[in-house]
Amino acid sequence: MTPLFWRALLRHPLRRPWQLGLAILGIALGVAVVLAVDLANASARRSFALAMERISGQATHRLVGNAQGIPEAWYVQWRLERNLRPSAPVVTGYLPNAEQPGQLLQILGIDPFTESLFRHPGADVTGSDFDLRTLLVNPEAALLPETLGEQIILKNGDQRFTLKRAGMLRGPELAGLIITDISTAQRLLGMTGRLSHIDLALPEGSAGEQQAAELRAGLPPELRLERPDERRQAMADLSASFSLNLTAMSLLALVVGMFLIYNAVTFSVVQRRSLLGLLRALGVSRRELLAGILGEALLLGLAGTLLGGLLGLWLGSGLVHLVTRTINDLYYVLSVREFLIDPWSLAKGAALGVLATLAAAGLPAWEAADAPPGAALSRAQLENRWRASQPRFLLTGLALLAAGGLALAFSQSLMAGFIGLFLLILGCALLTPPIVVGLVRLNQLWIARLGLLARMANRDVARHLSRTGVAVAALMVAFSATVGVGVMVDSFRGGVAIWINDLLNADLYIAPPTIEEGGNRVEALSPAALAALRDTPGILAVSTYRGARIDLDGRPLMLMAVDLAPASQAGYRLVDGATHEVWPAFRTGEALLISEPLAYRRGLGVGDWLELPTDQGQHRFSIAGVFLDYGSEHGRILLHRTGYERYWRDADVGSAALFAAPGEDPAMLRERLQERLGPIQSLLIRSNRDIQNRTLEVFDRTFTITQVLRVLAILVAVVGVLSALLALQLERAREFATLRAMGMTAGEIGGLVSLQTGFMGAAAGLLAIPTGLLLASALIFVINRRAFGWSLPFEVDPLLLLETVALAIFAALLAGLYPIWRMTHARPAEALRME
Amino acid sequence: MHNSSIFIRTQRLARRYTEGEQQRSIFTSLDLDIERGAFIALLGPSGCGKSTLLNLLGGIDLPDAGQIYIDGHSLTEMNERERTQFRRRYIGFVFQFFNLIPTLTAEENLLLPLELNGLATADQRDRALELLDQVGLGDRRRSFPERLSGGEQQRLAIARALVHAPLLLLADEPTGNLDAATGERVLELLLKLHRQAGTTIVLVTHSQEVAARADRILLLDHGYIREVNQ
Repeated sequence: MTPLFWRALLRHPLRRPWQLGLAILGIALGVAVVLAVDLANASARRSFALAMERISGQATHRLVGNAQGIPEAWYVQWRLERNLRPSAPVVTGYLPNAEQPGQLLQILGIDPFTESLFRHPGADVTGSDFDLRTLLVNPEAALLPETLGEQIILKNGDQRFTLKRAGMLRGPELAGLIITDISTAQRLLGMTGRLSHIDLALPEGSAGEQQAAELRAGLPPELRLERPDERRQAMADLSASFSLNLTAMSLLALVVGMFLIYNAVTFSVVQRRSLLGLLRALGVSRRELLAGILGEALLLGLAGTLLGGLLGLWLGSGLVHLVTRTINDLYYVLSVREFLIDPWSLAKGAALGVLATLAAAGLPAWEAADAPPGAALSRAQLENRWRASQPRFLLTGLALLAAGGLALAFSQSLMAGFIGLFLLILGCALLTPPIVVGLVRLNQLWIARLGLLARMANRDVARHLSRTGVAVAALMVAFSATVGVGVMVDSFRGGVAIWINDLLNADLYIAPPTIEEGGNRVEALSPAALAALRDTPGILAVSTYRGARIDLDGRPLMLMAVDLAPASQAGYRLVDGATHEVWPAFRTGEALLISEPLAYRRGLGVGDWLELPTDQGQHRFSIAGVFLDYGSEHGRILLHRTGYERYWRDADVGSAALFAAPGEDPAMLRERLQERLGPIQSLLIRSNRDIQNRTLEVFDRTFTITQVLRVLAILVAVVGVLSALLALQLERAREFATLRAMGMTAGEIGGLVSLQTGFMGAAAGLLAIPTGLLLASALIFVINRRAFGWSLPFEVDPLLLLETVALAIFAALLAGLYPIWRMTHARPAEALRME
Repeated sequence: MHNSSIFIRTQRLARRYTEGEQQRSIFTSLDLDIERGAFIALLGPSGCGKSTLLNLLGGIDLPDAGQIYIDGHSLTEMNERERTQFRRRYIGFVFQFFNLIPTLTAEENLLLPLELNGLATADQRDRALELLDQVGLGDRRRSFPERLSGGEQQRLAIARALVHAPLLLLADEPTGNLDAATGERVLELLLKLHRQAGTTIVLVTHSQEVAARADRILLLDHGYIREVNQ
């Protein structure tokens, strides 16, 4: 291929900057969304890894206890007896910054004398900035990150703690960390006499394994030896489904972007039909022409990917906040919210952008190269091919729908579910052009009454199907995602609202403040406070709860030890098991209730057994029932308090639910309780309404990022419509000039095109409804089930459907504004002169 | 309408085009008078500005200087909307490449000018269908333009240009894209309709034979216009 050949090809797009710009923008937006989500996910993962690393440091193993942690006295004795070195005690937890609402800081209490072998060098406590004596002696001394000032005030319930800088923690990975002496951390977190865990550095290889085995054998049952890397993986797995869901949503934007690329390349090929035919006549081979067009697409892809990369970095830095906030709400605390640029994400984004461009450009390039010399694809030929291809589109679309349906129905994995979902979307997209033709025919029946202009607008859509069909399909895909995700979120929200309303049916809930603020779960109601609570007049019944984290096959799970009042019991909706059999069995303390996600993931049901690691060793419990639960996708286990106290050495109560006696005003009762309990322990007393609102607030926050991604997909589609209309405007310049010569005003031309654009938007909106409902069914009954194990109701808000159609029409009309402006401002004489 | 015998008058008409950084003058001071009901053939070499003059007379292009009067109305003093309304009602166009609306049937193409003028009454529709019969397309009324031959398309274009009884018909090489026999038939049709309705016609052509059928022949060359004696 000669330089002149390239020049002949490439001058064309350079002479049409808007066309070139829109094609690049389409690719860029698709790449940007995928990259931004990937970077945000990678940042969250990296932040999590850093958080884990700074706690575990160089430790190879870790000793962990039950819900109460490890008694400090036991550690001192054990260290002396075993002479196991190096080992380091750690007290850790999270406290909110009193001066900056919403900022949670991780407290890491360490023993400076045993530390040097363990922590990350970034947090080197023997560094020159560090005043060891102050840290040990002064209970207000702490190593503070450089982002904080000289002192910080932390909040634990009603209490305020001031910490002053005794040294500097450098680097962004330490931005959310505060290091104190262990005794200071115990005081701050209310863990006097207890440790969170003990870090150990065992030798590598078989010697270390043997040592670990010996250690395990000698441990009391309530303590466990675990490897930090296994824990890290198990914790990271918690949010894997969430990340996968986001990635799938972002890929949708890229799919919509691919429609744009297809349109842009087809358009540039059709416009150059005479040039391409001439080149073929002059002796350019098919392969050279194919390579030329694909090479041009590659350049387009590279430019789009580069721009998309920059956009993605900008967008990602905004999304990382939403991603980490959701992870904080739902999975684990991420105090580091640094946006990290992962080179692997950049490479993936670049590869995806270029490959998507080449894939989308492949078909039009092939069609152009395949045409005989002198007659490379003309506009009319293209439209004829499109018209002739409609039955093929119909059959392929139906086949893809069937394949997607089969993949969803008969596969097991989440990934296969997503593949099924994408096949459904692709199938519906392929069905769009034939359906648009059908709608045009249907419109003809009534539109005649509106006059010839309306008839023209309607028929134009079918006549330029290669343009309009792709634009409507892109818009339809974007809006079907809106319907699909919207119905899913509405259904989910409806389900959660009913669930939380049933479950939280007590009048008041009492808990230590730290539990509510995502921090230290060791905190409990003091026995004195509990006794005072039970003695308070006006209370009909009390339910108590104690949450303990247990590990089931390396996966963290929440075990809830409960003593439920009859009304609380009634709040649990059983999805497996008969009420009259479940509760008597449960009250024996030998039978469990498990949540629906856990039952789904492990294939468990009533009558099965579950072996749990108790403080007395492994113990098999029977499963009495399965309850509906949206509280955790990884599952929760409910055990009666008697069973918990029988097998775990923990008599504490974490929180309580109170039912007011008949005629008792809950607000008055709350005041009375505050008066009585205030002097004993700082506690949060909240109404069920407060907690329900907070739960739904967290729910809505969780889906903020989904909404952002939906908007981005729509934006990409709007660019698609804009690009298609601009292309049409250029191609139909003479037609519009003729109409102007016949006396049509600019306003009438604008009305004609608006009618056509509005019809395209309406078609996209109407088709988005069945497609969206199909997607919603797949999301609700397959994807959510596989990702989170939840069964959700299927609720459709008719307003959402109406909004979708209205929004699709509006988006299309909006995209049409600029092309209309250009059409109405074009000089008809210029267009006619082109003859 | 105005009753003077001069139907079209241009005064010191100037039009130039910008090509890159250069400006090219088509004409700098063109004066022209055309009588009501005349059939004028406009000849001239390629690029001399015949189509430009036609576009200026039709109000779809504007001069850089000078005045254009059609039936006593100054096109150049009208705003865009007034010019469009004037064109819609009083002017008809026939193009070399027919420029029919591809999404409308033959009958619908014919009805479009009537509908734009708010004249699509039942009577007018009947008249339009008669006209379709007159141009020999009565049996093709439901066909889309792509299904018509070149000659049929041009006959339809002529019918469309005349259906709303314009005072002025501007035809830009209407036979230029047709074979000789078809071109002759189209020209006959044009003349017949001209005689019936008394419409003033300005026809751009390269053909001496076509020009010979006109009342007057004007030659446009190097920015000047002169009459050619037949």
